[in-house]
Amino acid sequence: MAKVLIPTPLRQFTSKQDSVTVSGATVGEVLTALTAQYPDLRKQIFNDEGKVRSFVNVYLNDEDIRYLTKDATPAADGDTISLVPSIAGGSALTVTAPPEEVTLSKDEILRYSRHLIIPEVGIEGQKKLKAAKVLLVGAGGLGAPLGLYLAAAGIGRIGIVDFDVVDFTNLQRQVIHATADVGRKKLDSAADKMRAINPNVQITKHDTALSSENALEILKDYDIVVDGTDNFPTRYLVNDACVLLGKPNVYGSIFRFEGQATVFAYEGGPCYRCLYPEPPPPGLVPSCAEGGVLGILPGTIGLIQATEAVKLILGIGEPLVGRLLLYDALGMRFRELKLRKNPECPVCGAHPTVTKLIDYQQFCGVPSAPPVEETKMNEGEIDVTEVKQKMDRGDSFVLIDVREPHEYRICSIPGAKLIPLGEFPRRVNEFDPEADIVIHCRSGMRSAKACGVLRQAGFKRVRNMAGGILAWSDKVDPSVPKY
Amino acid sequence: MIRIDPEAWAAMVSHARQVYPNECCGAMIGSIDDGAKTVLVAMPLENAFEGAQAARYELRPQDLLAADKAARARSMDLIGIYHSHPDCDAYFSRTDLQNSCPWYSFVVLSIQKGEFHHAHSWLPNFEQTEAAKEELIY
Repeated sequence: MAKVLIPTPLRQFTSKQDSVTVSGATVGEVLTALTAQYPDLRKQIFNDEGKVRSFVNVYLNDEDIRYLTKDATPAADGDTISLVPSIAGGSALTVTAPPEEVTLSKDEILRYSRHLIIPEVGIEGQKKLKAAKVLLVGAGGLGAPLGLYLAAAGIGRIGIVDFDVVDFTNLQRQVIHATADVGRKKLDSAADKMRAINPNVQITKHDTALSSENALEILKDYDIVVDGTDNFPTRYLVNDACVLLGKPNVYGSIFRFEGQATVFAYEGGPCYRCLYPEPPPPGLVPSCAEGGVLGILPGTIGLIQATEAVKLILGIGEPLVGRLLLYDALGMRFRELKLRKNPECPVCGAHPTVTKLIDYQQFCGVPSAPPVEETKMNEGEIDVTEVKQKMDRGDSFVLIDVREPHEYRICSIPGAKLIPLGEFPRRVNEFDPEADIVIHCRSGMRSAKACGVLRQAGFKRVRNMAGGILAWSDKVDPSVPKY
Repeated sequence: MIRIDPEAWAAMVSHARQVYPNECCGAMIGSIDDGAKTVLVAMPLENAFEGAQAARYELRPQDLLAADKAARARSMDLIGIYHSHPDCDAYFSRTDLQNSCPWYSFVVLSIQKGEFHHAHSWLPNFEQTEAAKEELIY
């Protein structure tokens, strides 16, 4: 017979008794007998699998039974069993009180005055921003508003990882780069604009592609990582590196008219892999370059990311943790999905199998790019200049354009027959299997698929126009616009 | 609804200010009548978190057991746990949630620049996935 002390909130299930004496030779037997006597108590103490709930510690007299013989610990007459929850917590602020030496100059006080007069920010909050170190992965669509606003807000140090060069197709949305910056490194262009806005911000340029080899080294010096990348290998890489280093990952993604944002890997919250354990098959989810994006969209999503980064630093409000925010620009609606941490998550779960960074290109099924030799054509390909020669000679051949009609309206090659890739398989019978066929698209990717379809159908003389209409514009007819 | 007696409230605020910029923690003892909770005594406990305590706290189960015993000795009940969030709002953080227990009220005191700012009481669920705000009177 042992006496079980009943915690106050559970007495409603024990006819208001504050202790119950039950028989049983071991602690396990006593608890089983107790919950048999008071069935409503069962849910309070045991989970669905019949195990004692994770927050409950069982004490025999003054000892935790985990350090005795657990359930099998003998319970003698006169023993007292207590149920004691394990409790901990904390604000879990990423950036705690700024170090003493952080001060604001007279100029800074003037500059940040609209922050300083908000009680939730004030001088202390502005000092936290100044003490904070934020890393932007990518200086593209999301990185542009992030860089501009985080610099303006007075983040002390902003790191940027990027290896790309500004091109004309970026200008529709990457507002940190100007027309005159085309051809410059995005890092240099972005840093100039950020310094022009706020010369107090230290900018660290990481002129490299983030990789398994350098990610931990680069990320470790920052408090918060903001993911502005547009490809799956880097997304998984940023996620895993953040989980391994214990840094919050402020995530955003965009496609056409829709965007997503959340904060991953923040103090026990879910990570990207809890949401997507496996990457999609390569090519299934188009990138912005393939599918397009409304130029304004990254502004909206990037600024949600910037807001979350600033909230995490200031420790105010409710962070976007465990919630995936979905934005639909056409419907102008926000929705929220609850995200749960996956206890079996391979990287942030209880028993992780990913304990160091892996090969993310391979993980995402992206073949590592073979060295490309400009002049050598792969088998089954034809160079644009050769296509032009065929036209000029008046050769008899069929030129098929497998792009979409709205792309065809942007530009086209004279004489090409438009059959969008989606319609292609069922229109194969429109062609003579003996004919000389050349297929093209924008860059040569889709037309390569179309060539495969025809070859499988028994066509012998099928070639893919290498480089697509982009190469046509470069080498044959510069008046054809590139997009 | 949870009501905190002025004397107990003063003890909690004073404890939180004293420990600032670290987090404080403690037990709340009192009575429950028909679901109405009244805290009569605040019992400061040691923050046992090993590491920086500016943003974390941990209660020793033995201390909680002792608090429960002390409550029983006074014919009172252990009603809840309090802790402070220095320079941070009194929300129930992810860390709070995942180390919580649905049996008790969790009062969080926001201490800004060393002074009491605001407070909320939270009731976490069994799955430790959500906490509902409880009406707090002090």
